[in-house]
Formats: sequence, C-alpha cells, structure tokens
Amino acid sequence: MSADSDMEYSDNDCEYDDYYNSGEDCDVEHLDPKKTDPEYFEYECLTVEEVEKLLNESVEKLNTILQITPSLAKVLLLEHQWINQVVVDKYRQNANSLLVETRIKPACNNTDPSLEVENVAATTSAAAAAAATESSSTSSPTTTTTTVVVTPQSLGTLSTYSKSPTTTPTTSNSSSSLSRSQMMCPVCATVQQGDKFYSLSCGHSFCKDCWSMYFETQIFLGISTQIGCMAQMCNVRVPEDLVLTLVTRAVMREKYQQFAFKDYVKSHPELRFCPGPNCQIIVRSREIAAKRAVCTACGTSFCFKCGMDYHAPTDCQVIRKWLTKCADDSETANYISANTKDCPKCHICIEKNGGCNHMQCFNCKYDFCWMCLGDWKTHGSEYYECSRYKDNPNIANESVHVQAREALKKYLHYYERWENHSKSMQLEQQTLDRLRQRINEKVMKGRGTWIDWQYLFNAAALLAKCRYTLQYTYPYAYFMESGSRKDLFEYQQAQLEAEIENLSWKIERAETTDLGDLENQMDIAEKRRTTLLKDFFPVEA
Amino acid sequence: MSSLPRRIIKETQRLMQEPVPGINAIPDENNARYFHVIVTGPTDSPFEGGIFKLELFLPEDYPMSAPKVRFITKIYHPNIDRLGRICLDVLKDKWSPALQIRTILLSIQALLSAPNPDDPLANDVAELWKVNEAEAIKNAREWTQKYAVED
Repeated sequence: MSADSDMEYSDNDCEYDDYYNSGEDCDVEHLDPKKTDPEYFEYECLTVEEVEKLLNESVEKLNTILQITPSLAKVLLLEHQWINQVVVDKYRQNANSLLVETRIKPACNNTDPSLEVENVAATTSAAAAAAATESSSTSSPTTTTTTVVVTPQSLGTLSTYSKSPTTTPTTSNSSSSLSRSQMMCPVCATVQQGDKFYSLSCGHSFCKDCWSMYFETQIFLGISTQIGCMAQMCNVRVPEDLVLTLVTRAVMREKYQQFAFKDYVKSHPELRFCPGPNCQIIVRSREIAAKRAVCTACGTSFCFKCGMDYHAPTDCQVIRKWLTKCADDSETANYISANTKDCPKCHICIEKNGGCNHMQCFNCKYDFCWMCLGDWKTHGSEYYECSRYKDNPNIANESVHVQAREALKKYLHYYERWENHSKSMQLEQQTLDRLRQRINEKVMKGRGTWIDWQYLFNAAALLAKCRYTLQYTYPYAYFMESGSRKDLFEYQQAQLEAEIENLSWKIERAETTDLGDLENQMDIAEKRRTTLLKDFFPVEA
Repeated sequence: MSSLPRRIIKETQRLMQEPVPGINAIPDENNARYFHVIVTGPTDSPFEGGIFKLELFLPEDYPMSAPKVRFITKIYHPNIDRLGRICLDVLKDKWSPALQIRTILLSIQALLSAPNPDDPLANDVAELWKVNEAEAIKNAREWTQKYAVED
C-alpha cells in the first residue's frame, strides 16, 4: 500500500469534519497529540501496592549498585527525589559527606558530655547551661576519644545502627562503678545488660525499651522517616530497620509504615496522591506540569502540579493568589453580586436558573445579556464584549479613594464572571435533568427515537468543558498587565464566551433536525477553547 | 496512681542532694510529678535580686515528652507571657528524652540572662525590647522589684 492511500484512509477517519477543518489537522493529531492538544497529558493511576513495587524497584537497584541495606537506600532516595543516578554519583564522589548530608552520620564524631545522667554532675553548671540553651553553637568541651572512621569501601557492610556499642566513650566514663557488661540508660536511669543497648552512628546509646517507647511517641505524632536520635542536639536520623526492629506492637508498626510511605510518595516528584476524599490512588506522570489528571477510581479531576482543581489557562501560583483573594473578599462580592437581576426593559425581578447568559424575559419577551444587561442583538457577532473589563484610562490622576473604588470595581468585574460561570456549572446537572425530561417527552410524542437525541448529551458535556475553561480565564485576566497581550487574551476570551452562549442557547432549544447545526457549533466552541489554551497555556518544560 | 518511674526518682534524689546554684525544685508532698520551683534572677540581668516561683509538671509519658513549666511570679520578659507560659525550644520541638528537669531549669535561668525578642511570646514586651531596650530593661527591673522581691 502506498503512502498516498494511507493518507486517504486517515482523511476518512475524520469523516465528520467539514471541508474547512481539513484532514491535515487530523493527521497531525494522529501523529503527535503533544503538539496539537495543549491539554495533552500522559499519566497513570496506580494503587498503593503498585507504587510500593515501583519504590522497591528503585531501592533494590540502588542496593545492588552500592551494596547497602534497603533501609539506608530508602533514606538516600528520599532525600534525592528518588533519582538513583544522583545518589550513586554523590556516593562515589564522597560517601562520607553524603551520609552526613542525609543525617545518617553526625557532622562530627563526638559525643555530647551532658548526655549521661551521671556525667551532668561532673560538668560544671555553666557548661550544662550552655549545652541546654537554644544557642545552636555546639558545646566546646568535647573529648573525642574514639573516632569511628568509616571508609567508603567498608560502608557497604556498615549497618546504620549498632547493638551494645563498646566503642562509645560514654560507657567507660560513666559506669566505672558498674561491671563492664552493665550500663545505665540515660533516659530511664536503670542499669541493664550491655546487650540491651542500641545506638546510631553518633554513638548515643540507650536501652531498647526507651528507644521503642520513644519511637511510639514519635509515630503517634505522625513522624516517621524524620525520627532523630534521642540525644539532645543530635540530629542523626533513625533508619527504618531500627524502628521496625524495636517497635513490636503491630498497630504502631503499621502506622509507621503508612506514614513512611506517605513521606516517600511526597518526596517523589513523579507521584501525587489523588486529592479525592478517602481515595487511595496515586497518580504518576513523568511530565511534572500543571495539567489535568483524572483519577480512574474516584473521578476526581485535579491539577497534577499543585493538586488543586484544574485551572488552565491560569497557572498554579496565580490561581492560588486568586482563590486567597476570593476567600478574603467573598462576602462583599457575594453581597454585591446578588442572585437576582431586574429585566432591563420591564424591570421584573429575574432569578437565573439555567446556564445560558442569553436571557429572554418571560414577561416582556425582551432578549438581553445576563452579564451586561444589554440587548442580545448586539451579542451575536464577534463584537461580544461583556467579558472584557474596560480600564479607566485616567486612573493615575484620580484620588486614592477613587483608585480604591476602581480596584474594587475591577476585582468585582472579574469575580462576578468567575462566580457566574461557576454557578452555571453547578446548574449543569439540573440542565441535564431537564434535557433528559425533554427528550423523553419528544420520544413519547414520536418525534425521533431516543437514540436520535443522544447527541445532545455529548453537546452538554462539551459545554461543561468549555465553560470550565472559560471560568478559569477570569483569574488569568485579572492578574494580567494591561497591554496588547491582554487585549488579545480578552478578545479570544470574548470569542469563546460568545460561542459558549450560542452553544448553550442551541442545546436548550434543539430539535432532531438541528444535529448538523449543533455539531458545527460544538466544533467552533471547542476550537476557540483550544486556540486560547494553545496561545496562553504554555506547556512547561 | 501508677508507681513512679525510676528515672523520676533518680532525678528527684539528685535535685535534692546536689541542688543547682540559684535553682530550687521540691516535689509536692501529694504529687511526686508536680514540683514547686524557685529560680533566682541571674546577676547582671534586669531580674537580679528577684525570686521567681515556677511550677513544673512531669506528664504521664515523661521523659518521652517535655515537662510542663510555667512562671507563677509575674515577670517582664519577651519570651514569657502574662500567664507565665514560656517560649523555649527545648520545652517544645527541641525536647529530647535525654534532657532532664535540671537542664530545663538551667535553660530557663539562661533565658533570663539572654532574652530573645526575635522569637517573642509577649508581643508588646518584645516590641519594646527591640525598639527601646533601655526602657524595656527598666520595666523588667521595676517588675522584678514589684513582684519578685519579698519584703
């Protein structure tokens, strides 16, 4: 088969597209949706088990390369965004500094003299006070008797903690009166056999029971991968294996593992917890962008980058700013943009109960725009302008008071439209119910079969999608600087809004014979939407 | 009431046998976890000459969690509020089970010598301490004379 005939086949694939919407476009779409669809986003929804497997693979890979324990590998990966190569490079360059940086090893190998209960008596009160105050400077009187020098070669077999550390200076100093195999735990002040003691690489030694009680307290506070040594001013990290060796209660072990898993996922740039209530799904994407992810389990749709509601074309920072602002000013704005408006002609009070901005007064039959209350006749063409906010050109010369009023006016302009579209979205379900009812009536009267009317649901879904994007164009416009780019944006926004209102109007009044017209309108609205996104929703690197 | 942990008994014994200069901590006769504490104002501080009463309580999970300490005597200090609550890291996130009653009380004594207005609890006091230290120190002296000196 020749290449030409191939082309023709792909042309036929988009048989519903009209002549102007030529097959070339369609071809490109088949070839590379990344380039043609600004919202294209590749991601997968994973279960907890799948993610555990994924993380374990990373851990195992690192284990085999560096010959280290899984527990240590997890800490190193956690601190390096799970990028194996970075860990390996750093390890080969300077293993010691990597271990210090990740708090596996203390910055310098000495033991704090104020640690031991018995030792405090020996030190002067001034020294103890210096060690006790919040001053971050390390206490000066340090007696480094034994420094455990660890060479990178021997690290492989090095465990991150040790049992009954006979090398620590504290043992011999403090317990001169005790027999060699017995030690006093500085936390519970009981004398126990040496083999009951555990310490991390810092050498601070405590008994098993105290460690385990301490771990349970920390786990109870929700702390897992960040648990530190019990000694004062010592920030050496407690690795997973020691926690799981010493915590015996099943409930606490499980809790620890859950919290640690959360920390691992949060430290992994490609993973996001689905924000849906009680949803266990984790979304994974190699592209870390402000794109829409939809959870396959609970249907929650969210921005992959920030986890909030999807907000194209606005970016994560701006939408956060906008939502904070709305939370601040919402009461005023709610008060001012009340739910009802008067008909501009006969002044009867109207409550909006459907999605369309093209209103027809039931009393006087006047057609007007809900947004600007102007005659709808002026809204049919591209001169639709009620989405655009008009700056007062003389603002710089006005008084502070007037400027403040102008600022509020500007904010309310955008807020009203944001809120209006948000309400329209909420009314979507009602619109859909009405649509279903209307279709039933039509079918009962013998005007078309139920299948004939199905296209209306597709149209309604597309309408919702377009309205959603339109809603999020308002925060974008609000924070935009005046200029030609803003003019262009607001022009495209107006175009989109006009087509959406057209579509909404047509859906509400559709007959079976209107199929072609409606599909045409759907196509136009979606084209406007993608054009706007292509121009103003840059695909981040 | 459950029996007193050995750690608390040991600490109490040492507090009584080898008291820290300027600090006096005596357990309540009805509750061995509740201590009546007296800290004398450090020399060369605006609290010099003052006798400050504090209360100290060891919670159920001590030493896994920090003791609760509060000034009973009124004091003009940027890190201590009207209710006598103390803003001190070792009583909160920097608590370590290896710390003790005596080290905590030493820290509190050190806090009197070196107020830290950049991490304030009593906002008005901290503000004055930063803007006009001389005036703040004068206030602290006056409060010490008024509330912490017994006639």
